[in-house]
Amino acid sequence: MLSEIVKRELKRIVGEANASFAKEDLLCYSYDATNSPYLPDAVVFPSGAEEISLILKMANSEGFPVIPRGAGTGFSGGSLPVEGGVVVSTERMRKIIEIDTENLTALVEPGVVTWELQTEVEKLGLFYPPDPTSLKFSTIGGNIAECAGGPRAVKYGVTRDYVLGLEAVLPTGEIITTGVRTAKGVVGYDLTRLLVGSEGTLGIVTKAHLKLLPKPETTKTLLALFPDIKDAAKAVSAIIRAKVVPSTLEFIDSACIKVVEEHAKMDFSGAGAVLLIEADGSAESVEKEASTIEKICMESRASSVRAATGKYEVKDLWKARRAISPSLLKIRPDKINEDVVVPRASIPDLIAGIEDISKRHNLLIACFGHAGDGNIHVNVMYDKKNPVEAASAEDAVVEAFRLTLRLKGTISGEHGVGTTKSRFIEMELGPAVIDAMKRIKATLDPKGILNPGKIFPKANGPQKAGFAGAGK
Amino acid sequence: MRKLVELKYELDKCVKCGTCRSVCPTFRVLGRETACARGKLTLIDAYSSGAIGLSDAYLKHLKECTLCGACRDTCPKGVDTVAIYNAARVDAVQKLGAPVAASLVFKNLLESSKVMDAALKIATRLQGLIFKDATAESGLLSRFSLPVIGKGRLLPPLAREFFLETSEARGLPAPAKTGKAKVAFYAGCGVNYLMPDVGKASIEILKKAGADVFVPSAQVCCGMPAFASGDAAMARQMALKNLEVFEAFDCDYITTSCATCGHGLKHMFADVLSDNPELSSRIEAFSAKVIDINALLVNVLKYRSGGKETGGKLVTYHDPCHLNRAQNVRNEPRELLKSNKNIAFKEMAFPCSCCGLGGGLSLTNYDLSIEITERKIESIRASGADIVATACPGCMVQLRDGLHKYGVNARVAHVVELI
Repeated sequence: MLSEIVKRELKRIVGEANASFAKEDLLCYSYDATNSPYLPDAVVFPSGAEEISLILKMANSEGFPVIPRGAGTGFSGGSLPVEGGVVVSTERMRKIIEIDTENLTALVEPGVVTWELQTEVEKLGLFYPPDPTSLKFSTIGGNIAECAGGPRAVKYGVTRDYVLGLEAVLPTGEIITTGVRTAKGVVGYDLTRLLVGSEGTLGIVTKAHLKLLPKPETTKTLLALFPDIKDAAKAVSAIIRAKVVPSTLEFIDSACIKVVEEHAKMDFSGAGAVLLIEADGSAESVEKEASTIEKICMESRASSVRAATGKYEVKDLWKARRAISPSLLKIRPDKINEDVVVPRASIPDLIAGIEDISKRHNLLIACFGHAGDGNIHVNVMYDKKNPVEAASAEDAVVEAFRLTLRLKGTISGEHGVGTTKSRFIEMELGPAVIDAMKRIKATLDPKGILNPGKIFPKANGPQKAGFAGAGK
Repeated sequence: MRKLVELKYELDKCVKCGTCRSVCPTFRVLGRETACARGKLTLIDAYSSGAIGLSDAYLKHLKECTLCGACRDTCPKGVDTVAIYNAARVDAVQKLGAPVAASLVFKNLLESSKVMDAALKIATRLQGLIFKDATAESGLLSRFSLPVIGKGRLLPPLAREFFLETSEARGLPAPAKTGKAKVAFYAGCGVNYLMPDVGKASIEILKKAGADVFVPSAQVCCGMPAFASGDAAMARQMALKNLEVFEAFDCDYITTSCATCGHGLKHMFADVLSDNPELSSRIEAFSAKVIDINALLVNVLKYRSGGKETGGKLVTYHDPCHLNRAQNVRNEPRELLKSNKNIAFKEMAFPCSCCGLGGGLSLTNYDLSIEITERKIESIRASGADIVATACPGCMVQLRDGLHKYGVNARVAHVVELI
């Protein structure tokens, strides 16, 4: 609970209209895409770094948690006020400050929606590649905090690869500027990289300098249908092995195909898996790559490969692809949604292993995702109300993590740890690594006020089951 | 219609993914979670479970919505957001009572008739005086909210002669028995009181297209404004009255040039009358006949423009939510426009984004409503069009106001006036 003095101060800092303690507002800032709400004590809408600095300084002296929040669309609980406190929403900080066409950079506020930035830079012939599935509604600030990836990561990398520098407020209230505005820079520790993906636990980003690329001349979208899911997985590895780098290489299994069919009103009957592949670049190179990809798919026993024709088909296809995750809940009432990554050559082993886990636990496990970079979204479908099923769903997830780590992968490619994966990080990280991370956190946030309850498992006993829930 | 308690399963479908944030016109302006569907559903759920009451904040967030349906269309879980919003509005009105003044006005619209018409007639002579203060409060013609002076708002004048009184309408009291299809024309308040020319043009085109068109004179307001403001009881009476009026005639189609009225006739009637199973077959027969004028002209009457002069250089088209989303009519108005060889057509960006008028928003929160319009006006400006065609008198009022306010020199016309 916040004292009246704190409430009054918050109002003074951000302005009466930009601080709320009303239950109606708190309810709407209690959730994210994990759909497991925690009520905050206040929500504030600051205008920039100075106001956030004052709030954080007060949080240290008065001892209340501060939780940064972009669009609240994460899948790991990064923006959840698990211990109450003050939600700092970046919704008012949504200006694209500058697009520098000479140096190919952009300076933006954290509340800018990723897609809006992409639309603006593309008008100028430029390109901001990171494309999380939520790109039409998630924000740059949230993308940076979670180091969001997306389908284009196979060729272009993830958010981290496009952040040149940041303005951020440290947990103790200091406003810092990190990184460079140049292509290179090695002066001091790379605090930019430390902040990117730190899930809002080490600082609140208030401005970001982003790297832009020239926009690819053209893009071609291919659809390859495979009767056998294993052949589709092998085709992914074969494409990578052939030294072709598609701009996206998405894998969709049969459970997810049904969802796509329904959404895009398309017919993929008979397919055990679909690959959605894009090549981009100059018209000439795109044609060449597309024909190589087509050849490899056919050699890997695809039943058909065709190009998506026209802007609308491509748009519908992507809309359907982006709708897979939430739409899966039409099949079963609940799901545990994980985003494991393995080295790309191990995709067939991962798919085969998941199929095995699915059979052993008698659970539908729907797989889709960015196979091109080894990142597969593993969705264990179950019914929460059935305790036996719920228990085996959790077991299945732990087994999927073990399989992933055995294949030298990682348990989260782009969603982050947050609350949903914190009890598993010890499976992947050694005690010395976790200790080093905790010491960094304690140094920057000695009072532990910034986004508490995230990433690190709680010391006292096992946490309440907080799997990645219904969301996405 | 489904009550709020019956919609609990629908509320539970929301998984809080946030996709609705990408399309909500109100959220676009307000930028707060309480404005988008995910937030509104959370509040309605909290209200249903007793966690919050009928607080001012709750009601404010309920009202900050144009009921455009974009969130329902984009929702990957297919949550019927609009049904939930409507049920929540109806629930609130039932608990709090409809604002008395608004009820009176709707009652007059229901009786259509002489009293209301006479009152409005006087008003046409004294516009801006009589209704100066009363209108915003009373909900008079609530989708159009007549003269509220101030804020530089451009409002349409009341017609000197209402459509249903014109010789064009009065000369067509019953179906003839010669043409391809017997078509009953439903005018709606917008056409009747504000834009009789749209009504006249509709009749003319329908005749040209070979229909036996007639205009039942006893028709009353469709009830959509009452329904949007939560007054389901009033909407129900209006639906019943119209049902009786149109059932008295033998016709193949019931058409209208108002997107909202069309949606009301086709869908809302069944919704508000669903409590009476005896009516269901009658409603079904009625709804099946209702068809928007664009769809009727293209799909049934196979009409193509003879090449009317429009007086403009470039035409663009705005999709009314109640036509595009509610009735799936998208291509037909475009086809009609393109069939006119004198029209150069250009699609604007975001043609389907809401104009900002709907859901009673222009009445309850004009500033927000007209700010939503700004994006639309920017699209029109960027398209370079000098004529904005659309197919809903409500949108026409809002677009005219917006073009005036944001200084874009383009004319708004109904599709039927351009073909």
